Parts: sequence; C-alpha cells; structure tokens
Amino acid sequence: MPKSKKKAASKKAASKKTPSSKKKSMRPESDENTGGATVRPLWSGTITFGLVSIPVDLLAAVRPRQTAMKLIDKDGNALGRQYHCSKDGKKLDNEDLVRGYQTDDGKMVVITDEEFESVAPEMSADINLINFVPLSQIPSVYFQKPHYLAPSGKSSKAYNLLVATMERTGRVGIGNFVMRGHEYLVAIVPDNGVLRADTLRYADELRSPESIGLPKKTKPPAPLLKEFTSLIAELKRNELSTKELEDIDADKLQALVKAKQKDDDNVVHQRDMETDEPESSEGGAQIIDLMALLRRSLSKRAVVTNAETSAPISLDERRAQRRQASEKTASRKKVASRKSGKK
Amino acid sequence: MARAMWKGSIMLGKHSVGIKMYAAVEDQTIRFHMLHKKDQAPVEQHIIRKDTGEDVQREDIRKAFSLDAGTAVILQPEDLEKLVPEDSREIEITRFVSPDVLGDQWYERPYYLGPDGDDASYFAMAQAMADKNVIGVARWVMRKKRYVGALTSIDGYLAVSTMRRADQVLKFAGIEPMATMKPAPNELKLAEQLIASIEADFDPQMWKNEYHQRLLKFIEAKARGEKLAPVKLKKKVAQVSLADSLKASIAAAREKKVA
Repeated sequence: MPKSKKKAASKKAASKKTPSSKKKSMRPESDENTGGATVRPLWSGTITFGLVSIPVDLLAAVRPRQTAMKLIDKDGNALGRQYHCSKDGKKLDNEDLVRGYQTDDGKMVVITDEEFESVAPEMSADINLINFVPLSQIPSVYFQKPHYLAPSGKSSKAYNLLVATMERTGRVGIGNFVMRGHEYLVAIVPDNGVLRADTLRYADELRSPESIGLPKKTKPPAPLLKEFTSLIAELKRNELSTKELEDIDADKLQALVKAKQKDDDNVVHQRDMETDEPESSEGGAQIIDLMALLRRSLSKRAVVTNAETSAPISLDERRAQRRQASEKTASRKKVASRKSGKK
Repeated sequence: MARAMWKGSIMLGKHSVGIKMYAAVEDQTIRFHMLHKKDQAPVEQHIIRKDTGEDVQREDIRKAFSLDAGTAVILQPEDLEKLVPEDSREIEITRFVSPDVLGDQWYERPYYLGPDGDDASYFAMAQAMADKNVIGVARWVMRKKRYVGALTSIDGYLAVSTMRRADQVLKFAGIEPMATMKPAPNELKLAEQLIASIEADFDPQMWKNEYHQRLLKFIEAKARGEKLAPVKLKKKVAQVSLADSLKASIAAAREKKVA
C-alpha cells in the first residue's frame, strides 16, 4: 500500500534508472544469508572520490520514534489511504499519478519521473566527494538526517579503504546528490567501521541572527556573566546520560497501552495496519535489513544496537519474532474474518 | 523582522531567561501537486477500510498502538488526551556537556532564540556558554508536545536544536572486515595522499542548490512549450586496480591544482 505517493513514485523511478540497482534486480530477491529479508535501500548509487568508485546502498540510520500509531475504525478494522481524482472521483493507483508544478501565472506543468532524473542524471547516480574537511568544522545546525551506506558491489575493499583513510585523517568527504527528486548536500562520515551519509542543509536554507532580526549583541555586565559562568560550571558533566534523552512520550504511551490491553475489548487483531504518520513507517524494518546487508557485504559479526540500551538487536531474535508474528497473524485471520462476518 | 513562533524561559539556578523562538531553517523545497495522469486534476486523499475499500468518515477514525504485526490496542480520543503533557513555558536544563559528547546523528532541527525582555541575562548566558565551550541538554513542552534539545551558543546568540530520542539513534559493533577486503598499506598511503590533495576547509557557501535551479529552469522551459532532449549519462571509465586508480586520481588532482 503506498504511503506517500510522491516518494513511492520517485523511488520507483530511481530504482529504474540507477545502474547499480539494475544490477541488483538480477540478484535473487531473497537471500539465504539474510533469512529471506528483502533489502530495500532508500537509494542505490556510487560514491566516487578521484577515480575510485564505491557502489553503495543507502539505508535509514535512525529509527522512527516508538510512538507511531496505526489507523483503524471504531470497530477495529484496518484503514488505509487512497487517492481519488478530484474531477471524476475515480480511485487512483500509483501508476495513475504524476507530479505537477504550478507556475506563477497558474499554469500546471507536469513533470514525469524520467524528467526529474534527466535534469541531473549524474547527481542521481553518484555522490562525488569534491573535498575532504575536518568533521569538527561543520556546525551542528547543518546536520539534517543520518543514513548508513552498505557496500553493494562484489568487493568491499574500496569501501574499507575510504573508512580507514577518513578515520586516520579525521576528515570527512563532502559532496551532493539527488534522491527521490530532492537534492542533498552530504557528509560521508566514518562510524565504527561503517560509512554514514549525513545529509546537510545548504547555507541558503539557514537563517542567521541578522536575517531573523535579533537585536544587536550587547556586552553583558561582568557580575552577571560571572554568575552564569559559575552556574554552568556547577551543571557541567563529562558525559551525556541517555536517561535524559529517553522518550517520555513513548514510555507513557506504553504504560497506557499495557493497562488497556488487559481488557480484550480494546485489543484488535488485523493485518496490514497502516501507520498514522506516513513518514514514520519507513526505517523500522530497515534496521533489520541494514544488519543483514552489512553482514553479507562487510562483516559477519556486524551488530546494531541503539544508544539507549546498548543491547544488541539480534538478527536471529528478530527473525524468530517475525516468524512468530506471521504465524500469529495467520491463525488470527480466521478470528478476524469471523468477527467481521458477524456484523 | 521574523515573527517568533514561541515564547518561553530558560531556567537556570534562580534565573529565568526569557526567550523568543524562531525557525532557523527556511524550507526551500519546490512544491509539487499530485495529479491524476489522465486529466491532470489534483488528487484527494481518502481514508478507506482496507477490506471493503469504503470511505471512512473522520469521526469514525481511531488510533491504535501495535504490539506486533497482527495485534494492536485501540486508544480512544480521551485516552490520547491523557497523554498530552501539561502546558509550560519553562525550558529546563538538565546538564551542560562538551559539544564533542553529542554526535551529529542526534541533531534534528535548529531554532534561534532571541532575548525577550532581559537582554543582559540573555547575552550573559550566551557568552558564558561560549567561554566554557558547552552545550546544554534541554527539555521543554511546546504546543502540547515534549521536546529534548541541545542549547547552543552561536556567534554570541542562543540557539536550540531539537534532538532525536535515545532509542532512535543506532550504534555499531563487531565490524571486522574480511582479511581479503582489508586495504593494503600502500593503498592506505595512496588514499591518504589523495585525500590530502583535495582537502579543504568546510565552506558552506560554495555549495548551491544546483539541482533545484536546474529543475526550475527545466520547468520554465517546458511551460514555454520548448522541446527538451533528455540528458545522457556519461559512461564511466572501467575500473582498474585500486592502487592504480588512486595513483591516477592523485595525478589528476595535482594537475587541477596547477591549472
């Protein structure tokens, strides 16, 4: 079921066009080593620096918050989104959709997926690292979203070479590329043996205190400065506590859900429930994909953990969970159909 | 003068520093309309029942929290109301840390803070934070939502970036490349030379929204009815050995510098 048509549409186009994904489609869809997990990268392409090129798959590096909800109706039926034409009211599939741009004089210009790519085909296929800068020089306001890159070619040697060299020099590669019809400035950063692609904002996307119109800086009175300095020193710690970064909303939500779960009337058995916020539905499954991908292409012992618990997200465990879930769903399907049959 | 999106106070000791919040990011993405291919009419999104395909009215939509792939717990509107945090204007600082402690993956979206009434305290705090080279871990409630953020001092002004939550950010362990895939010492040396030949300072101004501009030009041309030939992708040079392509790259980079 399509989440965001715009994304789905351009993603389709991207996978049609990029040379590396063409290669991939020849690979069998399910792989013994990945436990049957089909890896769906957000983008496939090549990192180039100098004449060296490294084919990679790009995947999400942050999980959605654990507060995402599913859409159902009052009786517990799974709901989904469906596009309709505003003129003839017909239901529309993915293939029936195009993107249009409205010009200032109100004219609608249709842009096809092929045209989106043809505007800058090299940017859609490659991340060309133009220069290498010290990571510490990039201000935090520039960082937008982290992704992981997994080597997708036969050899991971060039990939490992880039990781090792950036680790040794303390420098990160900067380039820009196009993904799903959007352009991103990107820093390629080494992260414990893996490459991360952190998208950055462009300078002209960022405001400044001057452009916002903040008042001119004034020199604070010395006693006040001294007081703030000592207050800061008092609260200064050497480490960050992940306890302070934990998701209170998710904790409270889970507590509420646990309490409500005791009453069977509150429990719904349905397959294919769709997420309330389309954005948050991606990324979750990608973590399992990511680990499978890295184990296959980079290192057999790759383990992904999250910052909060540091407990490894075990691939085998997740596979077992998946199996369990699908078995449960299969047996519950009967229950659900019986239920709806009653109405 | 940009309009403030929120007002609050940073609580520190017995001080309460009044601030106004402003978005630091100006969204520049080109907006497209989703259209029906056949008649180019805009599309509408309906919420439907998956089994029957019937439209569902807004008041009949509920939310559920899923326990696993096939099970979820219904939450009624009054349940969700209970989850809304209490309204507050206070930004609580739980600790200050060195900026190195926080990796880039944590930063989500930046906002500038301006003084609201008490310029002296505002600039004292901004300068003290810069002098000490620290960022503050902040928590606050804004428009019925909880936030975690990093309070920073930028060029003498205060700013705050919302942060991702602890269980969202991932970490790696156990990456040990296969012996045959490990780069050789001479390759490492060559790669370091190559990076040294294209190293630079981070200069955000040199990067422009190239695709964005080309796309707009393309759209304008198409709107005028011009016929546009698709651009062909250049063929890539076949790759030789890693060491050879590194050597060739270094030579090419040197030539560029001379020219």
